[in-house]
Amino acid sequence: MLNRCKYVAVSRKPSPESAELDPGINEQDERLIGALYQAFGSRLLHHVRRATGNDHHWAEDVVQETLVRAWRHAGKLNHEPGLLWAWLLTVARRIIIDGRRRRSARPEEVEDTGLDAVSVPDESERTIAAMVVSEALERLSVEHREVIEETYLRDRTINEAAEVLRIPPGTVKSRLYYAIRALRRDLKEKGVT
Amino acid sequence: MSSPPHHEVAAYALGLLDQEDNEVFERHLVECVDCQTELTELADVPDLLDEVRNKRSPIEGRPG
Repeated sequence: MLNRCKYVAVSRKPSPESAELDPGINEQDERLIGALYQAFGSRLLHHVRRATGNDHHWAEDVVQETLVRAWRHAGKLNHEPGLLWAWLLTVARRIIIDGRRRRSARPEEVEDTGLDAVSVPDESERTIAAMVVSEALERLSVEHREVIEETYLRDRTINEAAEVLRIPPGTVKSRLYYAIRALRRDLKEKGVT
Repeated sequence: MSSPPHHEVAAYALGLLDQEDNEVFERHLVECVDCQTELTELADVPDLLDEVRNKRSPIEGRPG
């Protein structure tokens, strides 16, 4: 496991020096990590910033860790770009969710330097998106809305949600599947996705 | 080992599977074209749900 602290001081792209911090990374690996940054770094940072509530340092940390994990899975990553991108988002999301849980267990001051040049959608644009998605959630069946609410929107694990909803974890997962598909279909009809 | 149910792709995309289930699902994902297609289709849903989350608590990760 990499020591996250080693990467905190590293800015947008990892310098070769940063890779040297991990004895498991050789020159060829450095090139691969560099290539992953080239291909996905800024796009990933843009997405991650939104999910981290615009927390610059946290977002960069998440991108670092995501791409290092991608490098570790490099042998399995010969997929088409859309799938690879979806996989990277999933890896990043797990790291963010872990971070959210840690942070809510141990609150910590975060600092937003405001120096980053990556654009984020302005507030009105985000308000509209939030409104459209909220409305789409309202249009779902109670069961579907509830399962999304009690899992992802409340940072609950599948098992925690199963307890709250008093249904088996397997049912949470299958209900979530139909709920997410219904939500996506609705948003697609509205031209959002 | 038996494959995980295909419907786990949603919990996977949302990052909600526990470590063990996540690893099992990823092994399945490498082999299953249907799940790969679904994952690609669902990839933008978590971001959209984050818009709702962020609206509720503008500063993420700070309780209260």
